Amino acid sequence: MALGSTGQGDGASNNALLVVHCDGPLAPERVTRSLERLLDFCPWPAARLRRPFPWGKLHWAAGRRTALAPPPVGWRAVATPEAFHQAVDAELNTAIDPRREPPLRFLILDGAPDTVGAPSVLVMTWFHPLMDPRGAQNLLRHLSVLDDHVGDSPWGTAVPAFAPTPDARPLRERGRLARKSVEYMRSVSRMPSGAPRAGRNGPVRFRQESFIDRDPAVSHDRATREIWWRLAVVGKALREVWARRGLPDVPVLLPIAVDLRPKGEPGPTFGNMLAFHFARFQPSDTADTTRLANALRNQMADAVRQGQIEANEVAMTFLQYRPLPMIRRAVRWISGGDTFSFNCADVTEFPAALARCFGRRVVNAYHVPAVPPRPGIGVFFNRCAGRNNLVVAWIDGVLSEDDVNRIVEIVREEMGWLGTP
Amino acid sequence: MAKGPSLPATDHDTVAQTLAAFVNANIMARGRRIQPDDDFEMMGIDSMALLKVLLFVEAEFGFWPPDEDLVTENLRSPRVLAHYICRRRSVP
Repeated sequence: MALGSTGQGDGASNNALLVVHCDGPLAPERVTRSLERLLDFCPWPAARLRRPFPWGKLHWAAGRRTALAPPPVGWRAVATPEAFHQAVDAELNTAIDPRREPPLRFLILDGAPDTVGAPSVLVMTWFHPLMDPRGAQNLLRHLSVLDDHVGDSPWGTAVPAFAPTPDARPLRERGRLARKSVEYMRSVSRMPSGAPRAGRNGPVRFRQESFIDRDPAVSHDRATREIWWRLAVVGKALREVWARRGLPDVPVLLPIAVDLRPKGEPGPTFGNMLAFHFARFQPSDTADTTRLANALRNQMADAVRQGQIEANEVAMTFLQYRPLPMIRRAVRWISGGDTFSFNCADVTEFPAALARCFGRRVVNAYHVPAVPPRPGIGVFFNRCAGRNNLVVAWIDGVLSEDDVNRIVEIVREEMGWLGTP
Repeated sequence: MAKGPSLPATDHDTVAQTLAAFVNANIMARGRRIQPDDDFEMMGIDSMALLKVLLFVEAEFGFWPPDEDLVTENLRSPRVLAHYICRRRSVP
């Protein structure tokens, strides 16, 4: 969610990562060259977050093309799996200050395949309000296209729309919709919800695991790939963790991101393209995954019928980059009130257009999204090259290694997955 | 959401065309059109987009499919969904 801290001195990292494993060494100069060329079409990779005056609205600002420098591209050799994980961990936790440096950076990690999982790994790190995970995939796709078309413009006169088109509806209409959504969010945040209530800043930890389908016939069943099913499965896993902690058996509240991009093409890269629905269920509901998945789908259907998704889409454009006190007044959970119980999302299939990237075949790719201090737990899915990726990310101290083991095991079992050979 | 004309539900092909037209007008990017026999998932129709299709079915054909019917066998493509709608409508 593009709300909350802007990384201004609170010590928290708002970084999100896209990690791409390739079958051969990646050349940093090719990435830099593509970034340099992209700036001819789009300034946002070199932008800074600005506020016109101390109480003004934050916005992205970029100078003239001649003043724009591409984001940094680093390279490092790693000798052990631990060194690889530490390097990615450092990318996650070394906060980007978007007021003073580019909002994204790249790191290439080279090592033996048994060290990093592939000969070369590209880690894209960005200040998460810059773009969402699909936006990051789009950015990589644009860079890859530029790399494939050295010396000419790959898009001719049909340059992609890198940022969303502004909403053309009158301000009065948008204001009405935004108020409707804020009222709804306030009503949601007034109800108690179960969560570890970390509410603290600290290093973000993550675990990534890849699995294959145990039964190909099941993999063809769309039901388990629906977001409702995955939310129900993750809810079941977290219920067990909380039960072991003796946390009260109170309702669960979680945000469900709705990607607003039209289907069939990449859509915008930068800016917010997500609206949110807030789902609620009882921990005891997780005993029947199918029933809970159906209930979550029906809740979402009601939200669409009532116009809440459309209203939230508009509200996000008003709230994004507003001064924090203004957001706190609008939405109680930002100011330390009741919070979400966990974050969960499925970025679905890694784009086929990125089967090759900077001259190398992509053998796996996954996301490590930003994890806000409340609730401090996120579980994320995606698929790439026949692998089901599961990423658990948490604020240090919210989960133990044993908790994470159980979450991974419960999700693996419920999804019918096997470990990769 | 755009609303198409009311149709006799026994005409599978017309229903499939109506569903595809709704998806093209409300869900797909301009220039990327879905055909009645295209697989929804292969065309990028995710959980939320499929929900919009079901809400269109509710508005256009007057019913929300029961949970047990929301399976791949009934939701694979506009034509498969059209067959389901026609079967469902023909049951008294």
